[in-house]
Amino acid sequence: MAATLLSVSTDISGFILRGIASVLPQPVSGWLSASWTITGLGVLIFCAILLGASMINTIMLIWFERKLLGRFMDRRGAMHVGYAGLLQNFADGLKLFRKNTYRPREADNLGFYAGPTAYMVTSMILFAILPVSTGWSGGVLPLSLLLALAIFSFAPLFIFISAWSSNNKYSLMGGMRSAAQMIAYEVPILLAVVAVVMISGSFDLNIIVQEQQNYWFWGPLFLALIVFVVGMIAEMERIPFDLPEAEAELVEGWNTEYGGMLFAFFMLADYVRALVGSILVVLLFLGGWTLPTYLPAGLTSFPLAGIFWFMLKTYAVFAIFVWVRASLPRVRTDQLLRVGWMRMIPLSLLAILVTALVIVVRCLPVFGCIPTIGG
Amino acid sequence: MSEMWINMGPQHPMTHGLWNLRVHIDGEIILDVDPEMGYLHRGIEKISEDRHYNEVITLMDRTCYVAGLAWEHLYIMAAEDALHIEVPERALWIRTLNDEFQRIASHIMWFAAFVQDIGLMSPFLYGMRDRDLVLDLFQSFTGGRLTYEYNRAGGVRNDLPLGFTDRARKVCDWLLPRFNEYDALCLGSDIFHRRCDGLGVLSAQDCVDYGVTGPMLRSAGVRRDLRKDRPYASYDKVDFDVAMANTADVTGRYLVRMEELRQSVRIVRQCLDWLDRHPGPVMADRLPRWLGAPYAPVGREGYLLKRNYPTGVGFSSVEEPHGEAQAYVVNTGGEHPYRVKFRSPVFANLGAAKKYMIGYRVADIPPIMGSVDICVGEVDR
Repeated sequence: MAATLLSVSTDISGFILRGIASVLPQPVSGWLSASWTITGLGVLIFCAILLGASMINTIMLIWFERKLLGRFMDRRGAMHVGYAGLLQNFADGLKLFRKNTYRPREADNLGFYAGPTAYMVTSMILFAILPVSTGWSGGVLPLSLLLALAIFSFAPLFIFISAWSSNNKYSLMGGMRSAAQMIAYEVPILLAVVAVVMISGSFDLNIIVQEQQNYWFWGPLFLALIVFVVGMIAEMERIPFDLPEAEAELVEGWNTEYGGMLFAFFMLADYVRALVGSILVVLLFLGGWTLPTYLPAGLTSFPLAGIFWFMLKTYAVFAIFVWVRASLPRVRTDQLLRVGWMRMIPLSLLAILVTALVIVVRCLPVFGCIPTIGG
Repeated sequence: MSEMWINMGPQHPMTHGLWNLRVHIDGEIILDVDPEMGYLHRGIEKISEDRHYNEVITLMDRTCYVAGLAWEHLYIMAAEDALHIEVPERALWIRTLNDEFQRIASHIMWFAAFVQDIGLMSPFLYGMRDRDLVLDLFQSFTGGRLTYEYNRAGGVRNDLPLGFTDRARKVCDWLLPRFNEYDALCLGSDIFHRRCDGLGVLSAQDCVDYGVTGPMLRSAGVRRDLRKDRPYASYDKVDFDVAMANTADVTGRYLVRMEELRQSVRIVRQCLDWLDRHPGPVMADRLPRWLGAPYAPVGREGYLLKRNYPTGVGFSSVEEPHGEAQAYVVNTGGEHPYRVKFRSPVFANLGAAKKYMIGYRVADIPPIMGSVDICVGEVDR
């Protein structure tokens, strides 16, 4: 059995605990070297590694966006803290950490603090579900795709709670817009995912990726890909769909009243969601961590090759989101909702129809034949 | 969500300055608006009464901080009218050049702010980058990038430096293709048309009723441009077209301003050609010494006593980047103007807000207000 992240974590915890137990007297060392203790600490180490990796990735994603956006705008982006501004976002985070958290007098105490916290936590949970490479996931979850999308769609609830409890008109309007927008774009996203599930025959992200070893889904499922990417941009609330925090009219939208660390929660969770969105595009349509087998084997044989290719694809997808952000104006709420309900949903239904046809035909001239791993 | 009033300002990203737009909304629909000005009132007209004629110029740069030279030109024309001063031809051409470069800088600034309002991020920085080139030119002959203090009663402070015209031509050559880039980023985008077409419509009749001038008036199909209708400086000797549109909406105002940018480059080139061929003085040689112009050469009449100097009333109107600005200066024979009064075009343009805002959506407020091109400094003075 190949080493997975979980087994490695368990090994580390076993090493540590047995080492400590060897120098301690009997009853304590027995508790420490018991299998449930080792497994428990192993899970904690697993979570810590996952959290650290995903946080660093998220912060690097912000850096990546700032640099790329800078290039699109004919400037350099962050330059001064660290090499090429690499540490700028850590500095910004530390600054926000030091700041006083201010709550308006009339704001609702529970909702004001619980909203951003829950938003942050539910966004972070997603990283425990998404597989990054073979063996680099929380374990076998037969419905991991469904679970990921379910957790992903918690966001409007918490955004609305924090917006409503801020007791600010701009926040309220931003929260309403956010909820309306996210609910409108959940539907086409789920329908686009149905196309992927139809062709791969599984809700397990690992199996969906294995299916794409030689048969990336972006070609045959091009319509579904378009619907999914547009929906994801709306879910992430990025330009051109960033109306909930349209700063021109709503100041800062639903997080107007938030400052300091609570604002950092929102900011971080937004980028976590952006990262998760890019990861989902890669997993569902771009073959995940695999490369087609007709490419030279050396490309995938070096250590951590899967993670390398996976991150490369993820950042490439995110670069497209940044490109869109740099070149498009913002749409209006009613236009956005009209596009969502009246264009995206028929388009995703059409994508399902096309997928059904692809499954019936089985082999397409350019893209080859559907493999038969899953169903 | 029931009906409510929200304050967009005085601290709000939409306002581009210190003013307040109170909006009565029902959900996302605007039921009523109430623009509140006066947060930036500095009493410039009153302060002017306490200063020498040439000292008022400093205030003019602060009146509209994105079109300082145009406002200097406006005031100095009225002051010269009141003081009975003749200006040498070369100074007039330099002022024309300044006006047009200022129009370019101001319109690019407007463009940058406007696209930011509808969510376009990159063109904002493209605009600021290109505006900087014009500011560099200003810096090379006035020493300032925002507040210039360049005009004087009787001409301009100093002549253009050596090699200025060539540098200015290079800037013109750089700018023209950039305007096409702006158009490609805005007009080429379907979202831009969805956001701006048919938005903030103000009919020609309403424009006239409310005294709306400038690009807003021309976008409604009214051919009125003081540079053509009442030529001042050397506008009667240059060749250009009046930018027009007839949609009266935000897109129309965008088109008018973009066309004005191109026409301004055309005028600038003619001015540069003329200035190359006609060297000469840039300051009147017969100035009263008490005018307090330290740089002004003192002529034969420099010894004219104050009590002997003729009194008078001066009026001028200028097609400023935002619209028609007017100035009125009363000279009762002292070192200071007795009264100075300005008409701000943006004040009138904002005053018609009820006409072009009601019925649209909250998300439409930034594009509509952005298309008005607000300069709060000149609204409040």
